[in-house]
Amino acid sequence: MIACVAVVGHQNNPLYLQSFTGADDALKLHHIVHCSLDVIDERVNNPKRSVITLNESYLGLLYPTESYKVYGYLSNTKVKFLVVTTDLDVKDTDIRSFFRRFHAAYVDAVSNPFHVPGKKIISRIFAVRVSGIVKAFAPGTYG
Amino acid sequence: MGREVAESCIDGVIIEMVSAYGRRFYATKPELAAHRIEAIGYQVGHQLIERYTMERPRFNDHLEVIKFICKDFWQELFKKQIDNLKTNHKGTFVLQDNNFRWLTRISIDPSSDNNDGSQGSSSEATNLLLYFPCGIIRGALSNLGIPCAVSADSSNLPFCSFMVRIKA
Repeated sequence: MIACVAVVGHQNNPLYLQSFTGADDALKLHHIVHCSLDVIDERVNNPKRSVITLNESYLGLLYPTESYKVYGYLSNTKVKFLVVTTDLDVKDTDIRSFFRRFHAAYVDAVSNPFHVPGKKIISRIFAVRVSGIVKAFAPGTYG
Repeated sequence: MGREVAESCIDGVIIEMVSAYGRRFYATKPELAAHRIEAIGYQVGHQLIERYTMERPRFNDHLEVIKFICKDFWQELFKKQIDNLKTNHKGTFVLQDNNFRWLTRISIDPSSDNNDGSQGSSSEATNLLLYFPCGIIRGALSNLGIPCAVSADSSNLPFCSFMVRIKA
């Protein structure tokens, strides 16, 4: 189950943060997202140590804690997409397709002429779309 | 899933925007009009580049980014690629387009060919119009992490060249 999704701008400014657990641990999820940003920076700046090639957008599993896993995705414009999930086994292809849809929804939200680049995304349609993508995400559906 | 509009609508909007900013809003201050038009182009380029780089793997260096602008980005915007790219390898690039699509609709007034240096209204409108694609290029490059300054030169229409100076 996906606990939280986040979009962070290229100056590590939060653009969108939404948690889906309904509990009061939103703060903890935000903290996890924040720590993952460091992992992303490390992966991008030290290509020799990581296994991922320099050109890949999908960064893979960033940060496994005891109950959560964090996956990352970096766009060409240095916008970071993060998803925190509680599932234990999640297929790579599922997460990749999730990020593809998430990225598409983000691009549509940012193309709004009333959106100020760098400020938070306040579009309701974007929130609805992201909730839809999260609900449709179920491991094994695309296997 | 995109909707399409006729290209003449785009031409109409751009020409009207340039004329509105140049002749009505900032009629007495052409520098402000140019600045405003360039800022509009900046936001447009900024947002367009998000969409056009979505499927691509990440870029390695500045030259790849400029090549992307010359090929794919220009192809999406103007249905053709940049005809000539020059660089001095020190952060300056010149993009030459032999038939810039938005300039093909500009009419050149033959009676304003005087030598006393007075600016014909057609070249003024052309200069103002060229601030828009300069802004688009600047917005696109800065969203990809490359701050730069872009200027345009159109001594003989419809040939047009854009000079990109990357700020180090």
